[in-house]
Amino acid sequence: MRTVRRAAGALLAASAVLITSACSGTADKNEDAAAGTSYELTKQTPAAAGDIGSFTWSIYAEPSSLDYAYAYDYPPNQILANVCESLLRWNPDLTTSPNLASSFTNPTPTTWVYKIRPGVRFHDGTVLTAKDVVASLRRHMDPAVGSAWENTFRNVKSIDMTGPLEVTVKLTKPDAVFNQEMATSSGTIESAATLAKAGKDYGSPKGGVNCTGPFSFGSWASGQSLTLKKFDGYWNKELKPKAGQVKFVFLSDATTRVNAFQSGEVDGGWMVPADAYDQLGSSTAGKLYFGVNSTVAEEIVGDLKGPLGDVEVRKALLMAIDRKGIVKAGVGGTGEIADSLVTDNMWDQAPAADRKAIIKDVPHYPYDPAKAKEIAEKAGVKGERIVIATSPLDSQTTIVAQAMEQAAKAIGLDPKIETLSPEKYSTLFTDAAARKGIDLFLTFWYTSITDPLDVYGSLETGMFTNYGGWSNKEFDQAVEDASGTYDPAARAAASAKAQKIALRELPWLPLYTQPTSVFLGNRITGVQPSVAYLYYPWAAEIGAKK
Amino acid sequence: MSRTATRAIGVVSRLAGMAATLLVTSFLVFSSLYLAPGDPASFLVRGRSAGPEELAQIRHRYGFDEPFLVRYWDWLGGVLHGDFGRSYVFHQDVSSVIWSRLPATLLLIAASALLIAVVGVAAGIVGALRRGTRTDSMLMLLVTVGAAAPAFVAALLLRSLFGVKLGWFPTIGNGTGVLDRLHHVVLPAIALSVTFMAMVTRVTRSSMLEELGREHVEVAVSRGTPRWTVIRRHVLRNALGPIVTVSALLISGMLVSTSIVETAFGMSGVGSLLVTSVNQMDFQVVQAIVLLVVAAFVVVNFLVDLVHPLIDPRVAAAGSAR
Repeated sequence: MRTVRRAAGALLAASAVLITSACSGTADKNEDAAAGTSYELTKQTPAAAGDIGSFTWSIYAEPSSLDYAYAYDYPPNQILANVCESLLRWNPDLTTSPNLASSFTNPTPTTWVYKIRPGVRFHDGTVLTAKDVVASLRRHMDPAVGSAWENTFRNVKSIDMTGPLEVTVKLTKPDAVFNQEMATSSGTIESAATLAKAGKDYGSPKGGVNCTGPFSFGSWASGQSLTLKKFDGYWNKELKPKAGQVKFVFLSDATTRVNAFQSGEVDGGWMVPADAYDQLGSSTAGKLYFGVNSTVAEEIVGDLKGPLGDVEVRKALLMAIDRKGIVKAGVGGTGEIADSLVTDNMWDQAPAADRKAIIKDVPHYPYDPAKAKEIAEKAGVKGERIVIATSPLDSQTTIVAQAMEQAAKAIGLDPKIETLSPEKYSTLFTDAAARKGIDLFLTFWYTSITDPLDVYGSLETGMFTNYGGWSNKEFDQAVEDASGTYDPAARAAASAKAQKIALRELPWLPLYTQPTSVFLGNRITGVQPSVAYLYYPWAAEIGAKK
Repeated sequence: MSRTATRAIGVVSRLAGMAATLLVTSFLVFSSLYLAPGDPASFLVRGRSAGPEELAQIRHRYGFDEPFLVRYWDWLGGVLHGDFGRSYVFHQDVSSVIWSRLPATLLLIAASALLIAVVGVAAGIVGALRRGTRTDSMLMLLVTVGAAAPAFVAALLLRSLFGVKLGWFPTIGNGTGVLDRLHHVVLPAIALSVTFMAMVTRVTRSSMLEELGREHVEVAVSRGTPRWTVIRRHVLRNALGPIVTVSALLISGMLVSTSIVETAFGMSGVGSLLVTSVNQMDFQVVQAIVLLVVAAFVVVNFLVDLVHPLIDPRVAAAGSAR
């Protein structure tokens, strides 16, 4: 639901790699016989042998702010995850558990009551109360703040303190996603006094933040690095930091990052450039790990009035795309073909008995250019022009655009690749006018909750993120049913119905998934490789290797 | 009119010209970004589902709905007070965003300037004096290679050889403390100045050769004046004009080219800031940096014009005869 921003933000930052994955939680081996490659998902790197004074971590861009209201992209989130905590917590195995809220209840379908954990201290030593929770949550609804997460609160009627350590949220209609979102930046809790005092400097290098996480904000050398310090008063003994200090360095150039890993100047980093997998996989400077992800690379059909307005043509196009080839060329075989718009692990909350069937029970579009050509011929779109947008952001985007062009040609269309500057490309996600005349564009859509509604909710009629203006009444109803249903089995069934319709109609074409990647230098170990690093205090688990 | 008075008037009129140039530039900079495609308001919401009402609110809050000239006037007034507005991306004052990155860039330019002036000129002098020898042809080969080496290629080579392989120099960051900063700036400065060094060497060499062939030099030599005195007094002094002009222009132009080197070495400077700001449509920051670069250019030009008559009396004479 809120992921485009990240797609757009990340694309904007022109990062070398954007990430993806399939395979849920288990540490299994994925053999791709055709591509002749294999990779392993790691649940947890070897446990730390002891404490470490400090370690250095690379990020592809400097966060624009540490204000949780604007934290919707990799750079701020992977830092904030260690500093500020939310009511709930998104864990590396993609489950959600209580955090600053020690428990929560749902007495009526439109009421959520959060019990606040007692004895939690902010970094400045003050104690967390319901007042801080109310101030932090209400902030998202203040138009003057312009929170990136206001959509989470669209069904919220009121947020009030109903006890010194109790907060009650009233909704206008049942919303199953709201509670899950309390594990993201939507549910981040900051000291009310700090918010009031810092004003417009809140979250900036000058103002910093004052939260409850295992690390506190240390210093921020604008443009260069940001340092976190171990917080001795941290409430959660299980996640007590092993490092005294973490220094994040901002390195926008992918080769510079890889070099810094190899020279040992940087101890590690998330989002390893895919074209450096080989190099770092065999490096003596450290080890490359892969973990669970929630991202799917998908081609958005931006114009449903053009030749791709016919669902048969969209099907033909998808069948003509050599997705195996893209995985091989784009990410060195470290990925899987996606049959759905969400990764399989999004269904983890569904009853185990249903899960397998839901994942399997979708229309499949195997690579078959000959049959695809036939279908397209029948639809009578031969020789029609389609425009595929791309941008020189990273090797994957370029390779996908070329594969799309090839596929379109194979079914008789007349494709044209339009190369946009990164900033222009990002406007495709924000500005309907910019999408004019663009038939297809690529997104790396990641979810920040473990729920397929994160994606399917964004395809409802009229949603801002429903870029092609696709509309299907049956689909909308299924999404509404799922959103309003708290029972996991019933919600999964409704979401699965929505998924089937979406994959039958293909408003977006699913391409492939790719694991979360992390590099650890020889000095450190202990992290759990998982896309949850955006919300989970992963740095607290990193310590000395020996 | 006395010569000093003429000079003073010249300086004042030049200063006025400088101010006018900056004013015109500020207008061009402001209007060009104003005309740039893309709606900053829709960028500011960053993909959130913002309705037309919210967009209108944002436009109002940032003053996008004001008439162009009003916005320009407000901006200019701020700039004159050192207030370049607030960065959309960093949620901070533009001046503090730029100030925090300026020292690294200035150090990089200073180090490169030193390399250009010392190494470039020295190599040019040696080449001219040893014309036709093996030393000269070696130098010319290096100059050809150097002039053809783009900064990013030089950065790549230097980084992987002296940083990663040999481990002599750090490959990322600005460093802290004086010595550490200098240690960090060595490779970037070489990468940045390689091309410029080569150009200055070439200019110095040919300018020296031209002077060496002059009659008065030959006369001085035939009169038995010591060789080094001839070179210093007659050759170098006269050759210095073009050398200073070229060096100064190259150095002031360097502000623009630092971005590649800064990015390659993970340095945080104004150059890399400019690139990210352009990409992120952070208009206020882009405006401030462009204005800064132009100002640096204009000021350096002005200083060169002031210095020129001092090193080359012929220029001064020509100036007062006009």
